[in-house]
Amino acid sequence: MNASGSNWVLDLLSRDSMPAPVDWVQALRRQASDQAATLPQPRRKLETWRYSRVETLLKASFTPVVQAPDISGQVVPAGISPYKLVFVDGWYSESLSHTDGLPPEIRIGSLREHLDQDSVRKQLGQLANAGENLFTALNTALLNDGLFLEIPDGLVLQDPVEVFYLNSAADTPQLAQPRNLILVGKQASLTLVEHYLPGQGRGYFHNGITELQLDAGSRLSHYRVQDEASTAWHLSQLYLEQDSGSYYHGITLSFGAHWARTEYKTGFRATDARCDLRGLYLVGDGQLSDFHLDVHHDRPACQSREQFKGLLHGKGRAVFDGRILVEQIAQGTDAQLTNDNLLLTRDAEVDTKPQLEIYADDVKCSHGTTVGQLDPQQLFYLRTRGIEKKQAVHMLCEGYAGEIIDHLHLPSLREQATDRMRQALERI
Amino acid sequence: MLSINNLHVNVDGKEILKGLNLEIGRGEVHAIMGPNGSGKSTLSYVLAGREGYEVTAGEILFEGRNLLDMSPEERAWAGIFLAMQYPVELPGVNNMNFLRESLNAIRKARGEEELDAVAFMKLVREKAATVELDDKLLKRSVNAGFSGGEKKRNEILQMAMLEPKLAILDETDSGLDIDALRIVAEGVNLLRSPERSIIMITHYQRLLDYIEPDFVHVLADGRIIRSGGKELALALEEKGYAWVLEEDAA
Repeated sequence: MNASGSNWVLDLLSRDSMPAPVDWVQALRRQASDQAATLPQPRRKLETWRYSRVETLLKASFTPVVQAPDISGQVVPAGISPYKLVFVDGWYSESLSHTDGLPPEIRIGSLREHLDQDSVRKQLGQLANAGENLFTALNTALLNDGLFLEIPDGLVLQDPVEVFYLNSAADTPQLAQPRNLILVGKQASLTLVEHYLPGQGRGYFHNGITELQLDAGSRLSHYRVQDEASTAWHLSQLYLEQDSGSYYHGITLSFGAHWARTEYKTGFRATDARCDLRGLYLVGDGQLSDFHLDVHHDRPACQSREQFKGLLHGKGRAVFDGRILVEQIAQGTDAQLTNDNLLLTRDAEVDTKPQLEIYADDVKCSHGTTVGQLDPQQLFYLRTRGIEKKQAVHMLCEGYAGEIIDHLHLPSLREQATDRMRQALERI
Repeated sequence: MLSINNLHVNVDGKEILKGLNLEIGRGEVHAIMGPNGSGKSTLSYVLAGREGYEVTAGEILFEGRNLLDMSPEERAWAGIFLAMQYPVELPGVNNMNFLRESLNAIRKARGEEELDAVAFMKLVREKAATVELDDKLLKRSVNAGFSGGEKKRNEILQMAMLEPKLAILDETDSGLDIDALRIVAEGVNLLRSPERSIIMITHYQRLLDYIEPDFVHVLADGRIIRSGGKELALALEEKGYAWVLEEDAA
């Protein structure tokens, strides 16, 4: 292993021969490429990768998708919204998308086609620091396309915007790297639903980055459903910054993939903002789910909620690493973190690590984690009412997961999520 | 209907029931009374099929079938219902859905059609009214955050919905104030029928003032040591268990 850099990344970088669409992106890419060459390779000795089995990912080989892929034969699932945007291997597909009827003031679509916008030039890469994270560096060094969404001040959109990430059929496993930039203007409000699906892909690696800026008084409900192919690798990194009085309401449901990791890195620009992060993970044989939270309270009087629940069956593995840092200046912080895990089998395994670092003295903070099994008393109670054991297990699991799913304010999405969970439980 | 013969049951290697015999006929109401630790709750759990109770000898026949070979759900399908002393809370499981799943499972086992949503709602509302259970509690998680009285009324509501052949009421009066007790008892009385047998397990005579039994049994140290009519309960109320225990020892 090369101690001062990752051969795995260097190999990937050496294969991209397509130039960047504009000069400033080319400069951004080159800088990230240089940083990627010096960042250490992720390995178990690094605390942030300790339980994540990243070495298996670094043994797999992938082909970067350097131009818009062939989309023939792609089927986009019926959505719940009139507005849908589709990305294949991280590249925007206009023909599969449907954005008619959206207010014209909203800027939405392919990042690549919005590179001439001042806001893009100003904000892209501001939160996602390629100098700190190898996968961020990799994404930036090969930056091609992704979702761009800018909601102007005061605009409230009632219907959700739905985004699908699909993958193309390929002879070799692909590296899909959508790069998303989401800017929500003052007092604006939006619901964004993202689905991560196989499409025609197998064995691919989704290395996505989303940078989110919430201006004062804005609100973003951001629901993400990861249901990748069972052979796929999925890494999502979300970088969030919030201005005063804004409200980020984020939920990630993690169902699919062989290996899936979601990282939230959040911070506040001003006081009185609220950040809710919730997640549900369901893993079975051959699956690992990994959540990392880095919630930074560096302004006074902000509130955050972190609530994550896991359902593990078979030989499913999960990791939860939730860190809340409350700086001395952040008086009046209210932060509550919980992580619960329900193990349905003996062979399932979870590593959970909540971390609360507090340097302010006037705060309301708590954290708690649980790891448990189904309560035999509850099972017995249901069975005495004529409900078969298998059905009783399903009802209890649904009840358990419902505490996260019920926070989705879209009934059709709640139904979808519940159905998806039932499907998985059916196989147990 | 129910025939228990020489039942011996161990819990954690300790013998709790030591040769219990009991015959329950169709439509009869039996009260089983006894001091703490006599095996009353063990009996109710063994009848309902809870795990962890080891039957070392004896048999239980329900309508001629060997109950001990049946799973808890099979017993429910056959018409046995246990109203629990401590109804279990099921966070996240909606009370209405729970009732519906339960009723439909039992109707299916009886060879009846599942109820459609409208018919089901009508039935639930009607039955909930008989135990004065607030509609709001139907929309909440099963028993979660319910008061003691609400939990017991929810049990009787389930019984009213499922229409069992044999209902076992385990300490249904415990933790109830006098108003709640009256409501629960009225709910049970409405369910008395020549087709339905009831076993009431209780510490106190009080419940029997409201639900009049046909037979009263004293369970002590794992056996029924005395059986009689409702006057036995009155004698127990007056003199305590000591005299029965002494007479049994003699």
